[in-house]
Amino acid sequence: MKLLELDGVSFNYGSQLAPVLQELKFSIGAGQCHCVSGPTGSGKSSLLNLLAGVQNRPHEGEIWRHSELITGLVMQDPQTQLLRQTVGAEVAFALENLGIPAENMLPKVQLALRRVGLFLRLDTPVSTLSLGQKYRLMIAAQLVCEPHLLLLDEPWAQLDDHGVSELLTVLRDLIAEGMALVLVEHNAAAFTDIINHYWQLEAGRLSAGIYTVRDTPMHDEPTRYRGSASHQGKVLVSAEAFDFCFDGCQPLFRCPQGFQLHAGEIVALVGANGSGKTSLLKSIAGILSLKLRIPLKVLGRKPKLGVYGGELGLLLQRSNRQLFETSVLTEMQFSLHRFGLPKERAEQMLAELGLMMLAEQSPHKLSYGQQHLIALASLACLQPKVLLLDDPLAGMDKHYYGKVWYLLKRLSAQGCAILMSSHRVVEHSAVSRQLSLYNGLLTETIFAMDERDVG
Amino acid sequence: MWVSCSRWRLFVRRCWSRECQETMLCALSLFFVCILSACAFVLPVDLLLPLAAINGFLVLHGLARRGSIMGVVKLGVIQLTITLSLYLLLYGVGHLAQGAVVVGRIMLATIPGWWLCITAAPERIGEVLSAFLPSKWAFVVAASLSLLPYMAEEVREIYQIQCLRGARITPKALRNPKNWPELVYCVLFPVLIQLLKLSRQMAVAAQSRHFGKSTRVTHWHSPRDKK
Amino acid sequence: MKKKLPLSLQDSLFIGFCATLLVALTSMLRLKLGISGHSMFLMSFFYLICYGVLGRFGSMIACGGIAGLVAMALGVGKGGPMILLKFILPAIAMDLVALLLPLTLSLHWRCMILGIVGCMAWAVKVALSNVLAGMAFDVVLIQWGASVLKGGFFATLGALLVPPVLHRLKAHDLLHRDKF
Repeated sequence: MKLLELDGVSFNYGSQLAPVLQELKFSIGAGQCHCVSGPTGSGKSSLLNLLAGVQNRPHEGEIWRHSELITGLVMQDPQTQLLRQTVGAEVAFALENLGIPAENMLPKVQLALRRVGLFLRLDTPVSTLSLGQKYRLMIAAQLVCEPHLLLLDEPWAQLDDHGVSELLTVLRDLIAEGMALVLVEHNAAAFTDIINHYWQLEAGRLSAGIYTVRDTPMHDEPTRYRGSASHQGKVLVSAEAFDFCFDGCQPLFRCPQGFQLHAGEIVALVGANGSGKTSLLKSIAGILSLKLRIPLKVLGRKPKLGVYGGELGLLLQRSNRQLFETSVLTEMQFSLHRFGLPKERAEQMLAELGLMMLAEQSPHKLSYGQQHLIALASLACLQPKVLLLDDPLAGMDKHYYGKVWYLLKRLSAQGCAILMSSHRVVEHSAVSRQLSLYNGLLTETIFAMDERDVG
Repeated sequence: MWVSCSRWRLFVRRCWSRECQETMLCALSLFFVCILSACAFVLPVDLLLPLAAINGFLVLHGLARRGSIMGVVKLGVIQLTITLSLYLLLYGVGHLAQGAVVVGRIMLATIPGWWLCITAAPERIGEVLSAFLPSKWAFVVAASLSLLPYMAEEVREIYQIQCLRGARITPKALRNPKNWPELVYCVLFPVLIQLLKLSRQMAVAAQSRHFGKSTRVTHWHSPRDKK
Repeated sequence: MKKKLPLSLQDSLFIGFCATLLVALTSMLRLKLGISGHSMFLMSFFYLICYGVLGRFGSMIACGGIAGLVAMALGVGKGGPMILLKFILPAIAMDLVALLLPLTLSLHWRCMILGIVGCMAWAVKVALSNVLAGMAFDVVLIQWGASVLKGGFFATLGALLVPPVLHRLKAHDLLHRDKF
């Protein structure tokens, strides 16, 4: 049974702006699973909003919907979709808006939660759930209206591997029950089990096929590429054994052996969502004050906000939050100016990355990948001694993924110690060591270099 | 008749849950506080003493609930100093008592508000106030309150990132109003962009869950309420 | 200004978030700076941002009303229910005066005038309670004047920062308004 069809649909965000979607042709039937992949900023989320019927701007072309079609939309960040405080109230929100009597809500809410495998008390505060649980809660909040078509926006980038496998189980059951599914996803490979139609969206046009993050091999140089030997061995960050705990709480994790960061190395900090990776990075940068201080020395000092000047850089997630200047060049020159470093470095950096054409553009008009790279480049041109990166590869398309690695390797060659967090193992030859943060334990994993070089 | 009475009683019992009791109590407290504050302004001078006694009880109760009275005391001292100095300058010593009474009235109007802040749970006050709002604005207030921790975290993170980038916005730097524009450009401006995005995302999230489609909105009662 | 009603859910949420942030930042800055009258800096800034971004009558009143409610709900300030007045009075005054201001007047001047109007209304709240308490008129006037001077400085500073911020938002294609 056909549920929805797009015929020659075009869409833009303003008459003077370039069209986001052009002449789309697309049809969805019951029980089908479609996956739309494409680079960041290609209009995937706009497509989902259009399919869900929540796009307020007019479009060209025809959208046909089955007369009884109910759609459910789950966007990228669960945090910005949570509208209530408790699990029960969150799921019941849609029922409230439809005027369903309170006494009829309970069985529907319980069923929706069961379908996504969330067996929680209805008065559980939403804030206590993990990111994976929150994502499934958002699906339950849509399932409660029994939609025929479910639309999901980039679940892979949000969830860790455990979260993805939980989600896959849920989605498989829903498709078996006859629900249609449209996934917008960079990494289609993670959902191959359930997808039957692949689409790629590039420059506003939809065509059959897969667009994946790493569909072209990265021309990695072997690990030995890194840095001159003189930088190696110089300890820039060191921590003795410690328990990481927020005020008055049980330890979030323990680090029985401590850890060190040496000049010129790239170390991956890998752990599940909510394991404490970001908090550890913030502690190293001195912006998280804990009652129980970690025995940590960064560049020979106890970490404190603002004491390192340009010697320490921190890039948090959604790095586009820090952009505020009117052009890319002034954005990159901001810190150089504040730390009294030569402003020319910004132009040199842009030229090196082949991004000179962006120099005079507004940083907010760039794609996510470009913004992220600009934020990273503006730290890189300070030539910091220690660089802390929180999940710098999340949501990057293949083009900018390569440029990020180029930049990291260049910094490492200059003797910068880089610690980068990720919720998945970082498979790149430039990474020399891995700090694993699983089951409340921070331990070190050393890669067998020969194996990696061969790989 | 008897059947309808028992149904009514059952209904009342269901509604009269612990949370409902708290909300009701908070509404009464709010009403009581408004009356007391108004009394501080309208009562004749000879009735101010009984009012002060009532306020005294409120202070004791507030202190027993571990409230800090320092803010109110500070306000009182500053107000007293300024007002009495002005009365002294303008009217002489003879009118000082009059000035003291005025400050007394202002303090008697302030204390009930302080007491309410300590004794009533903020979310209950929000609930009572939301009852007077149209459903859209009640939703906006509830969403804003529930997103407050998220927003506060966003502001903190953006502030810290910009501090690390060398922005002149540390508490020490901000003592100089010259640096305030930097705070606005580096922190408030990116925060505003986030708010614009956030409001768009939340509006889509609410609309995708049928917000605003029906004029007759019902309310979820958690099973705990029904016990 | 357009007088289209009602506001969309997105616009209403933006107002709500601005109001909440205003309250949160006011209480945070009070702890950090301890300077009296500084609340007018953030108040005039956020109200005028709502005025500039949405360009509708009532946006500032809505922001002030929600800020008052949120402040009460969060237990900010010493005055209890009086805090509602503190936030809503300047907003009402600013929105009403904004109706009278010609759109041909530059945004800078409009923001400055509205900021000062807001500050005067903010000081009225204190004066009102003083009058009700029976304070002599001269003393009320002096105290009101002192409040206006103190708050006026901060209000003007906040108001003057609004036009560049709005122009930046526009330059980044984040606002879909042609003219302020």
